[in-house]
Amino acid sequence: MRFVQKTSYDQDIRFFEHRGQVFWYGLLALAVLIAPLFIERFYLGELSLVFIYAIAGIGLMLLVGYTGLVSLGHAAFLAIGAYSQAWLMNQGVPFPLTLPLSGFITAAVGALVGIPALRMTGIYLAVATLAFAIIVEQVIIHWPAVTGGFTGMVVPRARIELINLDLQQPIAFYYLCLAILVGCLLIAMNLLRSPTGRAFRAIRDSEISAQSLGIHLSSTKTLAFALSAGFTGVAGSLFAHKLGYLAPDSFTIQTSILLLLMVVVGGVGSLHGIIYGALFIGFLPQMLAVARDLLPVGIAQMPGLEPALFGLILILVLIYEPLGIYGRWLKIRSYFEQFPLYRRATHKRQKSYLRTERLR
Amino acid sequence: MSLLAMNDVSLSFGGVKAVQDVSFSVEKGEVFSIIGPNGAGKSTLFNLISRLYDCESGQIFWQGEEITSVPSHRIAELGIARTFQNTELFEHETVLRNLLIGKHIHRRSNAVADMFFLPSVRRQELVFRKEVEDVIDLLNLQHYRDQVIANLPYGVRKMVEVARALCIQPKAVLLDEPSSGLNPEETEDVSFWIEDINEELGATVIMVEHDMKLVSQVSDRVLALADGQVLATGTPPEIQQHPEVLRAYLGDAE
Amino acid sequence: MEVLQLLVSGVSQGCVYGLIALGFVLIYKATEMVNFAQGEIMMLGAFVAFTFANLLGWPFWMAVIMTLLVMAAFGALTERLILRPMIGEPPFSVLMLTIGMGYVLRAGAGAIWGNEPRTLTTPYSGGIVDLGGVIIGYENIVIIVGTAVLCLVLFLFFRYSRVGIAMQATSQNQLAAYYMGIPVKRIYSLVWALSAGIAATAGILVAPVALVDPLMGFIGIKAFAAAIVGGFGSLPGAILGGIIIGVVEQFAALYLPPGFSETSAYVILLVMLLVRPEGLFATMLQKKV
Repeated sequence: MRFVQKTSYDQDIRFFEHRGQVFWYGLLALAVLIAPLFIERFYLGELSLVFIYAIAGIGLMLLVGYTGLVSLGHAAFLAIGAYSQAWLMNQGVPFPLTLPLSGFITAAVGALVGIPALRMTGIYLAVATLAFAIIVEQVIIHWPAVTGGFTGMVVPRARIELINLDLQQPIAFYYLCLAILVGCLLIAMNLLRSPTGRAFRAIRDSEISAQSLGIHLSSTKTLAFALSAGFTGVAGSLFAHKLGYLAPDSFTIQTSILLLLMVVVGGVGSLHGIIYGALFIGFLPQMLAVARDLLPVGIAQMPGLEPALFGLILILVLIYEPLGIYGRWLKIRSYFEQFPLYRRATHKRQKSYLRTERLR
Repeated sequence: MSLLAMNDVSLSFGGVKAVQDVSFSVEKGEVFSIIGPNGAGKSTLFNLISRLYDCESGQIFWQGEEITSVPSHRIAELGIARTFQNTELFEHETVLRNLLIGKHIHRRSNAVADMFFLPSVRRQELVFRKEVEDVIDLLNLQHYRDQVIANLPYGVRKMVEVARALCIQPKAVLLDEPSSGLNPEETEDVSFWIEDINEELGATVIMVEHDMKLVSQVSDRVLALADGQVLATGTPPEIQQHPEVLRAYLGDAE
Repeated sequence: MEVLQLLVSGVSQGCVYGLIALGFVLIYKATEMVNFAQGEIMMLGAFVAFTFANLLGWPFWMAVIMTLLVMAAFGALTERLILRPMIGEPPFSVLMLTIGMGYVLRAGAGAIWGNEPRTLTTPYSGGIVDLGGVIIGYENIVIIVGTAVLCLVLFLFFRYSRVGIAMQATSQNQLAAYYMGIPVKRIYSLVWALSAGIAATAGILVAPVALVDPLMGFIGIKAFAAAIVGGFGSLPGAILGGIIIGVVEQFAALYLPPGFSETSAYVILLVMLLVRPEGLFATMLQKKV
């Protein structure tokens, strides 16, 4: 175990608590930077996808993990980001502009949806966002002039003409996604250590207290919703380039649930969890392929095996490890740090009777 | 001009008249206690002042200005802080962060500045931290600074909630049953820190309390309430001798 | 005539939404958990009935009773094994858990019964009544009458039976109910059993007119909208909300451009949330401090 002696308040504000962290994160950064030299093209593409998922995950985590609002319709924001990216590029807007623009468009839509939806909490919001996502899906299908309808639309190649750079080359795309992920992570971390992020957390834990401390509930929630939509929109525009071709069936309820699965499996309420979760859902298809080879033929060939495992993982994680992969990692780490004195009870969950939110 | 005044305020829930034509005023620098049997409408008064409930009739004045329909989140800015009967802390956060949230109304940064953590935001954070540390010193919470609320004993939580209210740098603090759930020793401490808040920080203290010993120790004036109506107002000895109060309040207990 | 025709089919479809919504509301009221797999439980009920009545060839009434028993047991078991460990966890976790359950149930049904659609044949299948030009299938009549009867039974159950009153008490104040000697955990199981039974009834009623396949549970989402339109927490509201959505859907399909019928349930929901967020029958209240 490491004890950090603090000598200035600035130490609590910095991203890294001590030298050791700087070292390990530096090593990780280096590994990610030189990865294209060693990794096959295919896995490089998969890693880019992981980065894209992680960007969307940051958005969803801000909402679910830090503001305590549930959205079952984040695929809609992914779709809005993707379609506005493709549409803007078709209108001839240069790539470096389209990316932030589609982020802004999505954030604006998010705010617009948020204003009415945020008057309510919990299950109401979850269902309202679900309804919104279904409506967006139908709009995409029935508005061929902009979206190409059922047939879909081709996404123009991402290029920066000025320096003649084709960003859709696997390696260039990898660095593009990485850079944007790092940028989004920094923004999220900054938000979380500043008053805005604290207001989000306050609302998550007690709305009444937050209000009595001067936090304006609906504007703060709308802000959280817009930011969340914005991050997801940026992820959506990268996703558009990754897919190359947009069709309505890429953005269904299943996609929304996949994004939530990422948040849950990674660990609700931590940015680390997002990365773990994104790695998990990014490589889920590969893992399933491996699993199919290992399983007996009867089960392996069963139709609908993937969704079944999907659901099973969700159930098992929620029952046995509600803090997800990140939570498990914390436990493993403290096991080694405290060895041989680790007690299981350290991390035992406290069971409590239902804490109701209803007035009697 | 009084600091806070309620003027014929009424509120009912369904058929129950929780508060009925209540009028009183609190002067600057006082320790003002509200007593009364369970269900007398004490907490309702607090919820009316912090605008969680709307008055059905009557007005509330703060420093001479009417605040009857000011939105709830503006109350803290006016300099009114409060605690809750069963504590309403941010359970998953550390003590330090709970207190920093108490600094929210003093923020000057906006969300965009926060996103990039501009130097001004960093300076603001350092100022907040310094002020929070002062409150931590005042209430002796150094030991718990980095602990998560969910792991703290009840007595400490109550203190953290008071500390959080003080972070607002309020002109008045509303304390909802500060001693409930505390052991005698802790209750003893309550009277000390109420005096500290009142004298060192110069904040007016308005509290709802059941413990008559504590009330008579610290209060300048006491308001006795029963069935949503004011029975009497006066100094603690006056109230303790008041026949109506004895009948409605102490009579019930003995 | 056309209007009446649409009205009847709308009401009968709406009754199905309403019944599923009833299941949501029951569970929510008693346990404050939201069961997103309610539609899948209905789907399972339809498949079980199909197995007993058509595959095994049992008499219809026997198949119905067995289905209800099996599904009630399934509901209680689900509560005991999957939801019980989640007591005290945040609502979000429970929500996600039931979504996961939905996935597993869909895949499980696909593995057992296959993915191609089936139809439940019943003794009353195919009959029609001609009411002066309005043609109503027996199946639709059974749906409407069945829903009405079930509602009456539930009303009597909650008003007069000990268990029903205990359930109400639990849903009003869990801790107080516990202190009064009501076995809260057993009540939970019973509530789940009851709600699974209601979902199975919905499945049996709708199965003769709808295709029985693993994806039929998705109408649970519309039922959810119905529950909220009715005012989450109100039993008559759930049925009424379901009927409103069912009727509007039918009219939207005929009179509005394509795309509106599929989304009309959700548009109604969003409009409702804007205009009257507490629903038709308000029961949701604020938290007390």
